Amino acid sequence: MLTPMNEPIDALVIYRRGAPHPHLRAFRWNDHRYDVTATHLIHHQREGAAVHLVYSVDCNGDTYVVRLDTGRGRWTLEALDTVD
Amino acid sequence: MRRVILHVDMDSYFASVEQQVCPSLRGKPIGVTGRPTERSIVVAASREAKRYRVRTGMPVWEARKACPKIELVPGNPERYLSVTKRFIEILKEYTALLEIYSIDEAFLDVTQEEARHGGPIRMAEEIRRRFREELGECITATVGIAEGKTFAKLIGARSKPDGVGRLDPEEMAELLESTAVGDVWGIGPRITARLNRVGIRTLKELGRASERYLKSEFGVYGLHLLDVGQGRDSTPLVPYTDVPAPKSVGHSKSLPPDLRDFRLASIVLRDLCDKVARRMRRLGFMGRTVHCGFRVGSIGPHYGKQTTLDLPSDDGETFYRACLVVLDKIPVKPEQVSNVGVSVGNLVPTERTLCSLLEVDRRRERLNEAVDRIRDRYGDRSIQLGTSLLVRPIPQHVGGFFMASDDLEVG
Repeated sequence: MLTPMNEPIDALVIYRRGAPHPHLRAFRWNDHRYDVTATHLIHHQREGAAVHLVYSVDCNGDTYVVRLDTGRGRWTLEALDTVD
Repeated sequence: MRRVILHVDMDSYFASVEQQVCPSLRGKPIGVTGRPTERSIVVAASREAKRYRVRTGMPVWEARKACPKIELVPGNPERYLSVTKRFIEILKEYTALLEIYSIDEAFLDVTQEEARHGGPIRMAEEIRRRFREELGECITATVGIAEGKTFAKLIGARSKPDGVGRLDPEEMAELLESTAVGDVWGIGPRITARLNRVGIRTLKELGRASERYLKSEFGVYGLHLLDVGQGRDSTPLVPYTDVPAPKSVGHSKSLPPDLRDFRLASIVLRDLCDKVARRMRRLGFMGRTVHCGFRVGSIGPHYGKQTTLDLPSDDGETFYRACLVVLDKIPVKPEQVSNVGVSVGNLVPTERTLCSLLEVDRRRERLNEAVDRIRDRYGDRSIQLGTSLLVRPIPQHVGGFFMASDDLEVG
């Protein structure tokens, strides 16, 4: 089950030509780098006029939900699910 | 020319999307719920949960009894809507004759296109492959193929989950014989009970029923039932480009136990009126007939009455006042109300209505415009009525509180 976090993070992304959204490669949270090993789902979410992109990704077996506020260019770690 | 209809139905949709998002949920019995309480219901069960006979609409306590290991996940309507928009985009590449039936179902008329794709079965397989590749491995669909919508849906339901089913004309007789009338799309429990009372239990028996009887009992719909019973189905497909204008706009809400007091229920009703009005303004309609309804107690009777406004309106306050007039007519106010709802009908396009010359009405219009602009920019919850704070226990982000079919907005 996902645990809500809501903490700001730095993200390393690739903007591929023609791709509908940036490709998330890694992010930094609490001075630690997390490399994305798989992307499970990317979906859009609207907050008024603001469009957010929500990534569900895997980093070494743990699942992280990461949000990009496309208007402000801010990345947030929204939730995580660590393997026991 | 024989039609080729594809019915695409996502398997355990909301639960599959949650399993796609969170791999630790995969292979487990999960139930997507509204509120995380025992009084909530399972909105969607994963296929693993369905093996324990957990069904959609089952109360959480009952689901836990059927499957003690079930994991309950709060629903995320916007996530499902986003995935729906993506699978609709994929389907649009196959035909323009696409009917978006619900958030997880669509009909495609591929009569003209199927040959180009190597036949309907190959086409269905290709669609399913693209869903897996572009949406995710957990998000699967079942495709039913037949000459009509009713039979495509029926044969699809028999091929679930993650399958393709095709009804060939020579298999029709066997299908009619083996299908109970209640299993057919559009034949609900009430019609089933009425048919069963006169000894009609299967589609074959329905096809042998007298036309006169069916017409007198069910009106024009009786003729459709006869057609289905005889293996014919000419139900037209309504393409997404040609969706008819709404006949009414409404919202209802089941109330949590702490809000079942009649006074608090009327505050929820005020909120619902506001939502109905906002949706009507977004759709560009005004309405005159306001229908207000509520359910007494948790399983009590449902009361509903309507009133007609002097002039069409798209203002929440006006609808609420009309509801109060309706509620005032009830001689004895119930102590407990478990569900309230409001719907507005008799709709006319806003551009065909007359502008009020009264300053009080013009101010109200300007206020609604300003509120709409704020909500469009900052979200529906950015500005609310003060009274809404009294009914905060209703979590507005789950349970479909603000979702409506027009939220799909695929153009």
